[in-house]
Amino acid sequence: MTSASLSNDPSTNLSNPRRERLQQLGRRALWRLAGGVLVLWAVATLTFFALRLMPGDPVLAILGGPSGNPTAETIAEATREYGLDKPLPVQYALYLGRLVQGDLGVSYSQHLPVTRVLAEQSWPTLELTFSSLALAWLLVLALTVLTAGRRRWVGKVASLAETLSAALPHFWLGILLLAVFAFGLRLFPPAGSDGWRTLVLPSFALAIPLAGFIAQVTRESLDLTLDQPFILTARTRGLSDFKVRFKHALRHAVLPGISLSGWAIGALISGAVVTEVIFSRKGLGRQLFQAVQAQDLPLTIGISLVVAAGYVLANILVDLLYLWVDPRQQGSAS
Amino acid sequence: MREPVPYLRLPGSRSRSLLKTTPFVGIAALCSLLIGCGQGTSTVARSDKPVSGGTLVYATDREPTCLDPHVAGDMPQVFIGQQYLDSLVSMDAEGRIGPWLAKSWEVSDDGLTYTFHLRNDVHFTDGTPFNAAAVKANLDHMANPKTQSSTAGGYIRQYRSTDVLDDDTAVVHLATPYAAFLEVLAQGFLGIESPTALQRPRDVNCESPVGSGPFKVVRWDRQSQVELVRNPDYNWAPPTAKHQGPAWLDRIVWKFIQEPSVRFASLQAGEVDVIEALPPESHEAARRNPDLQLIIAQRPGNPTNGTLNITRAPFDDLKVREAFVRSADIEGALKSVYFNEFPRAGGPLSPATRFYSPDFQHAQDYDPARAAQLLDQAGWTQRDSDGYRTKNGKRLQVHVVMGNRTPPSEFTLWEQVQATTRQAGFELIVEQMSDVQATKRQADWDYDIRLGYWNTNTADVLRIIFGSEFIRPAGVGGYHQNTAGFSDPSFDSLIQQALATQDAEQRRALYYKAQQIASSQYLQLTTYPQSTRLGIYKTTQGVRLETSLAVTYLYDAWVNK
Repeated sequence: MTSASLSNDPSTNLSNPRRERLQQLGRRALWRLAGGVLVLWAVATLTFFALRLMPGDPVLAILGGPSGNPTAETIAEATREYGLDKPLPVQYALYLGRLVQGDLGVSYSQHLPVTRVLAEQSWPTLELTFSSLALAWLLVLALTVLTAGRRRWVGKVASLAETLSAALPHFWLGILLLAVFAFGLRLFPPAGSDGWRTLVLPSFALAIPLAGFIAQVTRESLDLTLDQPFILTARTRGLSDFKVRFKHALRHAVLPGISLSGWAIGALISGAVVTEVIFSRKGLGRQLFQAVQAQDLPLTIGISLVVAAGYVLANILVDLLYLWVDPRQQGSAS
Repeated sequence: MREPVPYLRLPGSRSRSLLKTTPFVGIAALCSLLIGCGQGTSTVARSDKPVSGGTLVYATDREPTCLDPHVAGDMPQVFIGQQYLDSLVSMDAEGRIGPWLAKSWEVSDDGLTYTFHLRNDVHFTDGTPFNAAAVKANLDHMANPKTQSSTAGGYIRQYRSTDVLDDDTAVVHLATPYAAFLEVLAQGFLGIESPTALQRPRDVNCESPVGSGPFKVVRWDRQSQVELVRNPDYNWAPPTAKHQGPAWLDRIVWKFIQEPSVRFASLQAGEVDVIEALPPESHEAARRNPDLQLIIAQRPGNPTNGTLNITRAPFDDLKVREAFVRSADIEGALKSVYFNEFPRAGGPLSPATRFYSPDFQHAQDYDPARAAQLLDQAGWTQRDSDGYRTKNGKRLQVHVVMGNRTPPSEFTLWEQVQATTRQAGFELIVEQMSDVQATKRQADWDYDIRLGYWNTNTADVLRIIFGSEFIRPAGVGGYHQNTAGFSDPSFDSLIQQALATQDAEQRRALYYKAQQIASSQYLQLTTYPQSTRLGIYKTTQGVRLETSLAVTYLYDAWVNK
């Protein structure tokens, strides 16, 4: 009897551990998604009131703050156009109503629908975030797996390098990379967001400090794992050192690093604000910075929602990845 | 138009911007120290003969929020606008008005009617002909509250209507005499756009505006660049231009590189051909670099300043105002903060403004002895244990309110003012807050000093910043432009008379008196004129500034590469 036909039978369904595991994962994902929606509502609400309750009139910010010289009629017209003449609870209800329908409104400062700004600016930031995360893990694996449990001084030097890189500020690193690789050696373009070549330097600027963080926890757990009896057993079976490290020890040691990656997505997006400015890249970070300055409520909420959604999704993924890497977690998950 | 400069700030840091921190300033130095970047890479000789063709890469600090300068009206908009728009009239280096899209004009004796005779050989890049109906459509568009025009609309408050007499004649009616009308019409903010394009929704026109200028906007890639290409039909350059016919350049790539040191390093490396807002700390390096050429020009209008609120104590007392101004060592501060690259502005008008008089340049010179004497006369004779002057047990305190978009160098400048005025016995309290909060404090008159400047090409700026009509806020919750709170019927009358005459010598005499009053009242501590500062790589020549607002003008520019 194949497993496919087995699953058609309800009586034997429950006893199928593979299916049970999947169902469990699915339930867990659903719960997390529901929680995520709650988080998004909270983000929209908090941002709305934080910006609206700030002293001062957003219309003046739209029309140029103290630098503009608008007529009274222009101010009145803009107030009406953006619905700012209505009472605050009404504004909030209208806003939520439109939000539920997927209408994020029109950006005050960009003269564009928020969804279009998000469509144009999200990809460059995602691209940067993912390539930085991937690069960071590459650095982590190269550094830790190859140096953990080696002679003492090797570990010490690597550990020092990790601590140092974790402490590097993004902007300083960005400037250094620009000076050396863009203006000095002319290997990569200093600015822009077209093509993979423009992605290299900003990714390194974000990945190096992150790699330092992740490597520190990974090294610690790798050191512990390499002292475990099962490693000794594997070695006595005649496995090469390389195989022991990558096939056996790593699986145990990456767990703290993986859960740290969920946090890292958030850290990378905030790091993207600075990095996008220095490397003159398109992206949500730079846009958010400008939107807050201009008190551009629809755009600020729109970007906050996208970032929060990304964060929620990343954490769900990390959660599931965790379960996949370490089946022992199943028991505690249900 | 004033122009706030956004700087990225780290959360929790006070005045130190991320961009001002030492590693940032040092990129050029670091660069040359490490590998000597951008040195001796190519050997293109400058040719004095213009070459047709090629792409010029321009890099500036700020991205406009809308490409149509009628909407809002911030400096980055007019810089791009100048490349694709023509104006009704032109302005030369002396501030005189000349023809452009209007061949000639007459002003009625009462100053209320302007009759423009228009060129009949001009069309916009969408094919729409330029005519009197286009003039009407543009002025109506600027004045329409739905346009959200802060600058152009604000400058033509007197505008009533336009009559289209025939295709080549437009008659503009004003509510009150406004001799500065022609001057503001020469600004790119009031550039003439295609009436067909203006009929589209505002936000569509923001993205793809259409003019009749030497270039046309083809694509705006947000947070990255605007692309402009040559208008091959162009044959109506202003008399101030160096050639006629189409522009030399095929294409302009207008990039946004926010970080000053990266912008400058990109120029040194030849990655970009022209940069705007050259940071003052890089001027010296740029001058020493044989590959680079600098254009530095002061902008007309009201110079950078701290305006004193005379509606409350202690600045309601003229003696205290003069004492404060005299006790601030601005020359010393400019030297240390801006490396002597910015000259002192001493009067209410920038030297680049038509009808500016140099007679008031030294009214604000540093004179601590005079300051002490004035404070004694004003009754601030006691000193408390901290060394500040007091009167009736009250300390001589003044609050300067700064929004957090104020550039970090301005903070440093005012810290120096704080240090020198302290010696005279002033306690200067620097309050930093969000821009919106600062605007609110301004609307509530809750400040002693507000920082500002106003870029415009007419001495009529004195009316906006000191005229009593600008004490009232514009609209509900609006703010006042007359930050000093100065109200003087004889000053108002002078300014109105200056608007009622077209005679240049009469206007000069009237504006002289107006400057005299403003200067003698010590309404502002003026620091330095705003400026346009371009760095140009050796591959590029012929870059000039359009004089009305000292705005980059690439019509006469060409590249050798």
